[in-house]
Amino acid sequence: MRTPISYFLVVSAMLFAIGTVGVLVRKNALVVFMSIELQLNAVNLAFVSFSRMHGNLNGQVLAFFSMVVAAAEVVVGLAIIVTVYRRRRSASVDDVSVLRG
Amino acid sequence: MLDAVWVIPALPLAGAVANLFLGRRLGTKAGWLGTAAVGAAFAVTVAVLLDLLALAGPERQHIVDLYEWIAAGDFRVQVSFLVDPLSMTMAMVVTGVGALIHLYAVGYMEHDPRVGRFFAYFNLFVAFMLVLVLADNYLLLYVGWEGVGLCSYLLIGFWFERPAAASAAKKAFVTTRIGDAAMLLGIVLVFVHFGSLEFGPVLGWGTSPSTVTGAGPSEGAATAIALLLLAGAVGKSAQLPLHVWLPDAMEGPTPVSALIHAATMVTAGVYLVVRSHALFEMSEVALTAVLVVGLLSAIYAALASIGQFDLKRALAYSTMSQIGFMFFAAGMGFYAGAMLLLVCHAFYKALLFLTSGNVMHGLDDEIDLRRMGGLKADMPVSATWFAIGALSLAGIPPLAGFFAKDHIVGFAYLSGRELAWVLASIGAFLSALYIARPLFLAFFGARRNPSHAHEAPWRMHAPLAVLAAGAVVSGLLLGFRAEGVLARFLEPALGLAEPGHADLSEAVLIAISIVLAVAAVGLAWFVWASGRVDWEAFPERQPELAGWLSNAFYLNAFYAWLVRAPGMGLGRGLRSVDDRIVDGAVNEVAEDVERASRLAPVLQSGFVRSYALAFLLGAVALLLFLGLRS
Amino acid sequence: MPLDHVVFWVFAPISVGSAIAMLFQRNAVHAALFLIVNFFTIAVFYLVLGASFLFAVQIIVYAGAIMVLFLFVIMLLGVDREETLIERLRGQRTLAIVLGTGIALELFFAIRAGVGFATKAPANFDEVVNEGGNAVALSEVLFRDYFFPFEVTSVLLIVAAVAVMVLAARERRAVTRAEQAASPARQPERVP
Repeated sequence: MRTPISYFLVVSAMLFAIGTVGVLVRKNALVVFMSIELQLNAVNLAFVSFSRMHGNLNGQVLAFFSMVVAAAEVVVGLAIIVTVYRRRRSASVDDVSVLRG
Repeated sequence: MLDAVWVIPALPLAGAVANLFLGRRLGTKAGWLGTAAVGAAFAVTVAVLLDLLALAGPERQHIVDLYEWIAAGDFRVQVSFLVDPLSMTMAMVVTGVGALIHLYAVGYMEHDPRVGRFFAYFNLFVAFMLVLVLADNYLLLYVGWEGVGLCSYLLIGFWFERPAAASAAKKAFVTTRIGDAAMLLGIVLVFVHFGSLEFGPVLGWGTSPSTVTGAGPSEGAATAIALLLLAGAVGKSAQLPLHVWLPDAMEGPTPVSALIHAATMVTAGVYLVVRSHALFEMSEVALTAVLVVGLLSAIYAALASIGQFDLKRALAYSTMSQIGFMFFAAGMGFYAGAMLLLVCHAFYKALLFLTSGNVMHGLDDEIDLRRMGGLKADMPVSATWFAIGALSLAGIPPLAGFFAKDHIVGFAYLSGRELAWVLASIGAFLSALYIARPLFLAFFGARRNPSHAHEAPWRMHAPLAVLAAGAVVSGLLLGFRAEGVLARFLEPALGLAEPGHADLSEAVLIAISIVLAVAAVGLAWFVWASGRVDWEAFPERQPELAGWLSNAFYLNAFYAWLVRAPGMGLGRGLRSVDDRIVDGAVNEVAEDVERASRLAPVLQSGFVRSYALAFLLGAVALLLFLGLRS
Repeated sequence: MPLDHVVFWVFAPISVGSAIAMLFQRNAVHAALFLIVNFFTIAVFYLVLGASFLFAVQIIVYAGAIMVLFLFVIMLLGVDREETLIERLRGQRTLAIVLGTGIALELFFAIRAGVGFATKAPANFDEVVNEGGNAVALSEVLFRDYFFPFEVTSVLLIVAAVAVMVLAARERRAVTRAEQAASPARQPERVP
């Protein structure tokens, strides 16, 4: 493989930053959630890159665990969004602000 | 039996505790419990007294150490009781008269809902009074001293629902405190100069010599000590200038007036002066001060008493006047005479107060002499008691007051104090006048109250009969002559006073006394009972003089002007300091915090995206920090 | 130009572009579709990086299961309406972009300092590490060194399943109109 590892890491960093901005600017809870998934995948990509760089499989195992956790998290997160939507007829994160001081 | 002296205060103390906890359940029986406790204390006192009499004269002094109370370096104070003729005389008066007044109060307080509490306080008072008179050192005496002050406060304000009673209690407490503070300073000085607080070393008798720290106090120090102790005595005994609380103290129930503010507590000052006479004798100034205070109080209070239409206030001023005579006697060094007057006074003044309680009961709490009159038809027994008490006080022979007062007045002449003798004779004349006045106003003359008074039940007359007997015979038995039974009994403790010889013989002095007393009573009859003088119009005809008399020379108003106005001003000033500066600072801080906290909700917007932004800001800053550091 | 270079330079722009496109899509369904594209490119990167097992998992689990779940929820809730672009929070968008750029730059410098741009991975990865195939090698590491965490994830999945059931279950059954009419107690009494 001739491509330097840092290229993948730079792509990972860019995806992570884009996901972050998505979390911050989007109001639709589902899109926010997708942005979080994008961040997770960016980090997974970094894990796999480091795994390749260090020449062992620990990074891939971590990425694997991260996927498992992400799956569980997506399920619960979507359930929460559904519950909130049922009660408030809205999927906008700005409408859920009952913790206002 | 002498070692059992601690039982004497312990019994009423136990009664007080029992009444305090069980009083509500006992109901009316609380009174009997309290009376029994004091009666038992009286019995023990009699037993101790008999044991004391069994000893030879000079050995009549027995100290019972109970336990060490305070031990701090050189400062050691024992809880110890002193049995000697003086303390036993006082204990006899306190328990004897106390038991009789308790018995009377059983009937008097029967319908009060708080009878248990009343007798708890009453017993507690007797206990503290006994601690006071039996104590063997100044600190224990001070415990009793403050204790009786406390009980006096509680009992004056016993009907605390009435604002007058509550403020009278406060007044009594604060006024006596002024004296008490001085007295505490005196006690401290005693320790500084003698290195001990026990009577023995301080007063120069007993086993240990008075020179614990060396040479004893200088004359100046002795004067200071004596004057400070005198200030305490003056406060407690309601002498000039700390007397203003006593007339107001009559807001308490009548038995309280009889026991505390006539027979016992107010005589504590006399006891203190007599007990500490060795200290007072070290300083000519102090003794003279005692004499002057006593004489002035006697005359001042006698005049004030004549101006009163409130029966109990008249009697209160009379008490002050009588105690003035006691101080007068003590100031001349005639301690046995002071003690004789103290004992006799306890009898007839308690009798007078309790009888006035009967009158109040019979007339539905009417206290104004102008609305009494002619009561002897309705209340013949009470009228008799009052007459005995009044005539005894007035000094009509052979009643007790005659001997007691006559010895004192006579001693003034025989010891070469002519001016004092003249003033004391005037005081004696005024005494007879002021005490005959309520007698005639209330029981003789025309009826001025439409309601039909009813006589008190027998139970309340029984103690009065005993007191009346005491008021009749105590002088005859205890002090037929100046060196009478009581004086000889007290000799080991007080020594015998040596009057000089003067131009007039004793018989002439006695005759003058009798003539003055009889004349005063006759004058009183003429003015207030014969119907020939329109005494009710006196205030209109002589508004100025009547005002001076009835307001006790406006000393109250003077104190109000002297103390209350600056006090209120200071209080207002401090309050504004408190409001503006102390509270202001606190409130300002609180408001600032509140204002600042209104900014916080801006951060707590409830928008999860704002939180996430803050989160990211932190993450970026942290990464930046780590990056720059490496 | 080596093959992996070609693959990277083809797929990296697609990856970043699809992510940015997702960010700008007002419609949630379109956003989800762009995200799927992104996930595919990441799967390709995995393949290039020698993680063929994760390549399969990425496509099956992420692009398949998870994104289908997303789309399902979007359809279920009917929130495929276009989102308003009016930002109510003052400065939120500006700050978000500034900070997002900031973290990207920081990561960029961190990579340059920590890894170095020219660093190449060891060449014999497939022969040494992925001996006997990536799936076999990964399973050996997973079940030997990470067995306990692997079991714990099973607990996590069960808990998640139970949690979703609790969250999604309706607490009360709505009273139907017919039942309302049948119950006289709910009818207000009429006084003639």
